[in-house]
Amino acid sequence: MFDRMNLQVLANHARAAAENMGYTLQRTAHSAFVKETEDFTVMLLNRRGETFAVPMDLGATWYAGLTFGRAIDQIADYKPGDVAFTNDAYSSFVATHTPDTVLWKPVFHEGELIAFTGGHIHNTDMGGAVPASLSRALTEIHQEGIRFPPMKIMNEGVYDDQILRIMSTNVRKPDLNMGDIKAMVGALTTGERKILAMVEKFGKAAFLAGVDQLLDHAEAQARDVLRAIPDGTWDFTDYADEDSVEANPCRLKLKLTIAGDSAVLDFTGSDPQLGSSLNVPTGGDPRHSVLLVAIYYILYTLNPRILLNTGLTRPFTCIAPQGSVLNPVSPAAVGMRSLTCARLRSVIFGGFVQALPDRLPAAPAGNNCIVNVMTTDARGRSIIAAVNPVVGGGGGMPHRDGTNGSGADAAYLKNTPIEITETETPVEFVKYALAQDTGGAGRWRGGLATEMAFRVFAPDSRITARNRDRSFFRPWGALGGRAAGLSDMWLNPGTDRARRLGNVDTAVLQPGDVLEVRSAGGGGRGDPLQRELWRVAQDVARGYVSVPAAARDYGVVIVDGVVDEAATAALRATMPPATQPFHYGPEREGYETQWTPAAYDLLTEILGGLPIHWRFFAKTEIFRRMAGRSGAKGVELAFAEVRARFPDMPAPSGFLQEAAE
Amino acid sequence: MDGAMTPTARVTAEADWKIGVDIGGTFMDFCALETRTGRVASLKVLTTPDDPGAELLTGLSLLIEREGLDPAQVSRFVHGTTVGINTIIQRRGVDLALITNAGFEDVIELARLRMPEVYSLFCARPEQLIPRDRVFGMPARLRADGRETVAPDMAALAGAVASARARGAQGIIVSLLHAWRDGSQEAAVKEEIARIAPDMFVFTSSEVWPVIREYERTTTAILNGYVHPRVAGYLTALEHRLAGQGVPARPMLTKSNGGLMNAAEGKRSCVNMLLSGTASGVIGAAWLARQAGETRVLTLDIGGTSADFALIIDGEPQFGTGELIGEFPLFIPSVSVSSIGIGGGSIAQVDERGVLRVGPDSAGSTPGPACYGRGGTQATVTDAMVVCGWLGHSQMAYGQLQMDRALAERAVGELARRLARPLQETAQAILDIAISEMFVEVEKLASRAGVDLREFTLMPFGGGGPMLGAFLAQEMGMRRVMAPRRPGVVSALGGLVADLRGDFIRTIFAPLDSATAPLLRAAMDGLMDEGRGWLAAQGHRGGADLRLSADMRYAGQSYEIEVPLQPGWIAEGNLSGMAAAFHDMHDRLYDFHDAAGEIELVNLRLSAIGAGPALRFPEAEEVAVQARPRRDVPVHTGGRVQPIGLYRRRDLGPGAVFSGPAVVAQDDTTLAIPAGARAHVDRHLNLYLTFGE
Repeated sequence: MFDRMNLQVLANHARAAAENMGYTLQRTAHSAFVKETEDFTVMLLNRRGETFAVPMDLGATWYAGLTFGRAIDQIADYKPGDVAFTNDAYSSFVATHTPDTVLWKPVFHEGELIAFTGGHIHNTDMGGAVPASLSRALTEIHQEGIRFPPMKIMNEGVYDDQILRIMSTNVRKPDLNMGDIKAMVGALTTGERKILAMVEKFGKAAFLAGVDQLLDHAEAQARDVLRAIPDGTWDFTDYADEDSVEANPCRLKLKLTIAGDSAVLDFTGSDPQLGSSLNVPTGGDPRHSVLLVAIYYILYTLNPRILLNTGLTRPFTCIAPQGSVLNPVSPAAVGMRSLTCARLRSVIFGGFVQALPDRLPAAPAGNNCIVNVMTTDARGRSIIAAVNPVVGGGGGMPHRDGTNGSGADAAYLKNTPIEITETETPVEFVKYALAQDTGGAGRWRGGLATEMAFRVFAPDSRITARNRDRSFFRPWGALGGRAAGLSDMWLNPGTDRARRLGNVDTAVLQPGDVLEVRSAGGGGRGDPLQRELWRVAQDVARGYVSVPAAARDYGVVIVDGVVDEAATAALRATMPPATQPFHYGPEREGYETQWTPAAYDLLTEILGGLPIHWRFFAKTEIFRRMAGRSGAKGVELAFAEVRARFPDMPAPSGFLQEAAE
Repeated sequence: MDGAMTPTARVTAEADWKIGVDIGGTFMDFCALETRTGRVASLKVLTTPDDPGAELLTGLSLLIEREGLDPAQVSRFVHGTTVGINTIIQRRGVDLALITNAGFEDVIELARLRMPEVYSLFCARPEQLIPRDRVFGMPARLRADGRETVAPDMAALAGAVASARARGAQGIIVSLLHAWRDGSQEAAVKEEIARIAPDMFVFTSSEVWPVIREYERTTTAILNGYVHPRVAGYLTALEHRLAGQGVPARPMLTKSNGGLMNAAEGKRSCVNMLLSGTASGVIGAAWLARQAGETRVLTLDIGGTSADFALIIDGEPQFGTGELIGEFPLFIPSVSVSSIGIGGGSIAQVDERGVLRVGPDSAGSTPGPACYGRGGTQATVTDAMVVCGWLGHSQMAYGQLQMDRALAERAVGELARRLARPLQETAQAILDIAISEMFVEVEKLASRAGVDLREFTLMPFGGGGPMLGAFLAQEMGMRRVMAPRRPGVVSALGGLVADLRGDFIRTIFAPLDSATAPLLRAAMDGLMDEGRGWLAAQGHRGGADLRLSADMRYAGQSYEIEVPLQPGWIAEGNLSGMAAAFHDMHDRLYDFHDAAGEIELVNLRLSAIGAGPALRFPEAEEVAVQARPRRDVPVHTGGRVQPIGLYRRRDLGPGAVFSGPAVVAQDDTTLAIPAGARAHVDRHLNLYLTFGE
């Protein structure tokens, strides 16, 4: 049916169509989110709604393996010229928060449905409680804007005016939404035209067979990668600093099992769904794209020629129990799921680093903080502006240092020139630079953090710094490498008015106030004592590492810019070689002396046995009663107090059974 | 040399030669025109990487020998050189220091954050041309409105300069925030460095290219400084060589913007020549297109390792900024060229899953394709062309290459064996894949520009363009191909026909309203003075063509589009004319505009153009004639081996017609013509292919 010798030709034509869709969307979109931040995706889908091609040049990296099947199936009777859409995270688990509007268009050839084109745009605002529809503090999805379950927005080439009017009435920037949706429809139509050109070139039967082969090929490539990894089971745990505003940590837990050419990612033991908007809606789909983003990175890193399509998700099975942070039930809020997704990626990276220690880097900084300012200019006009993302470095790689100030799973983010921001917005930057001693020490150093400080001139200037994390739990080092520096936020640093803001993500500034935001760094990889002297000396000369840190972390004594080799040899001789698989830093080590793995396992088990709407409440109450307690015993005592205080709380099912046994 | 319609050579005492010389990876190309007789000579000379510039003398002596050129009769000498770009790619530039504002020392490392290969955990930035230990922050600050809040701390500067010197810096780049608004702070720092370290050369960001955006301005200034000593040395040697040969013309240099400058300017504004090779190819192609009456053209230049594409719209090349020089973006106006790493030397391989792929590895020019017989053993695109029978019937590259069919068959045969497919089917598949790789790049180019390529004519040039061009045109659904007579020297021709062109910019960054009008008038007057002065300094005597444009956007957007302006609009304060021009352009590029949207004017630009001599190349009336092949050769095409006509380009006069499939051989390339194409030679000896009705 399809000559396999032409597979690369078909792959190239499919990718060309996807790139064409991406550029068409970017060129004709209206909002900065789509045009500049590139928070969008476009893809070609087969008849079952599985992605078979995505662009490599443009857009977000999250949905290369997305399947639209569930959304597609909710609509009957597709006709040529129809376009369907949804932005509801719960009705089909294709959209993952309300601002993301997902659209798809059927492609017909001689009356037969042969494919779809699809994509998503991040709308600037979808209404709801706060501008931009996103806040960590929101507690149910109804606060996060208007939702549309899968429905047709266009019938045989004609927009459904009622839907557009409902949307326009409910959102804060209707012109941007309408402009972007129309640009996406244009891109979908471009994709449709390109698919029909492929059908003409290859023939319908060969096209359909060839598309199946593209998916099979990606699957085979992914299975080759897995087969090269020894079989085994590995556990990994990481924490988000907070599970809601200024609250307790949120644990994500993975049991990774690789057997032959397939893998199971079991997230059982991750926190129950949260009473904030940090939940990740997946519907329990074992191959949900948002659970597998880290897998795309790992596969692409191990084989840069891998085809990115749904086929490569086939060897993977994810287990995310219902009612957990990775599979919340409605109406849990989901707007800020990107923070949790960053932690999810670092958990999966941690699993695979154990499975394939020679091939993968240490943890990236993993906090892609987006800073916005709302202030007033000299003429009294209110100004809202994105200042910059404050991103940290990549983890130390097997063959080189982590990339400074960005990299790894944050490399798609862009910044704005300081001169542009200062001209448009009444702020003055004090600093935008890499931060010394923030990369995890290692044979290969982690990438440095970024530090940004700026001053405002108007009273009551409001700052939001979304996605702040890693201010307590450090990006981990691997294979003897050390954990990286923490993220932080300060008001008026270095003055007598200095105030540490820690992990909060909002601040109000007064005239002359300086806000300093720092990201975390990337984790180090390998024993720092193995790092060549000249590299340490170069890091010191470049200001990446201080003289004291060179001695403390690397055992390298530098005097007047020159390595003192004798003193270095003597110092290194006193330092034990570092071989620990992971280094998490003192904060997590301290935390886990109270919240031991056994303690947290018990907590998760208790919570998992409660009705879903009790879980987050019970977690918070147990944490409240852990002062002075530790370990599983401490959790038992705390929980007993909680049950005594709240007799209306049902008994946790699994917990009771075990207690009875 | 070219025989078809060169009038009898009769070199007289009054002969007047104009010479364009362009250097590529393997060859230096010459295109020479004797203006009295219309005689055109073209030739290629192998490059001498160990002694850049020596090829020039070889070429000149060949012109003297074969064409009777008298160096004293050379009135114009235009040169395109790769010495600048090679300095960057090979990282052989000078050690520099960067002096900038304290707190902003990592601007060049952080760049715009986003990296290529966003799916790779190993994505990384290039090692900077100035390492961080030679970057020095000093107290100094301008605000966005140009107000100085911190004066440069000259004591700190002295310390920085001393450290820079101790760390080996020979030159200094000064780049301070908001120098786009006012360059005097940078100038003061430069003056102080000149006082305390007179042996160091200094470039400031605002004198190199005073555009808003600190990273873009700084990296452009660094590229300029990095190549400066090497380029200046090369140009000085060039001037001496030409003078030593008795050439009276002072050399002119081709620029990235497709124009020319004199050598004195080139020694300072080195950054302007970094992309001159690709730019002058497009200029040459645009000139050929205009001559033939083509307005919408996609150019395709295929070399050994890459394929370059550019759009010509309304007869004009397109311009852009941010083109990559090696690993670094350059932000001066440059002719837009897209590139993909697929060329004649690209290697075909069967991967671990049995899938046939082409590139990105290339055999380059050494060892080159297997069929060159220089030790290459891996199958390349060129080998596939030989196996299919399109290539190998005549000598290549003016007799400097001979194809060895047996070696090509052995290399492709190895892949065929692994795929268990017939030899020629495998070769065909290699060609199909190479074409599909180019297809991706061209589709991207077209969708970025928002054009429908079916309305365009493909113009293939370079050694490999004519080999694959017709196949790519078919894949793209393009109906016309225009193959120029001398595809190997289009870049050299581009220099010969280019105008003097200097670009100037003033960042305004203000809303388009009446308060801005006086600012615009002052900026325009300043730009026009600067442009006229620049042309005069290049030795230009004729009229000045001063083209004004503005980078504008809707408030809230973070990128601008360039809109041509009529000077009268600014002089008369006709803001609505400017707004209308912007809305129209926005609509053309992005398919929508916002008539009520607030407009910001970011930059005012001026291109000062001094027209070069009007050159006329020979042409002849078409005489309709059915061309006859020299002989038939067996070629695998359309799924089988069939005898097809082999034509010699020099036999094909104006008006000749024939049909594909066919092969046309000429000294510097081979043109492959698929079945279904009609071939026709026009009055300028361009060979047109048309597909379909």
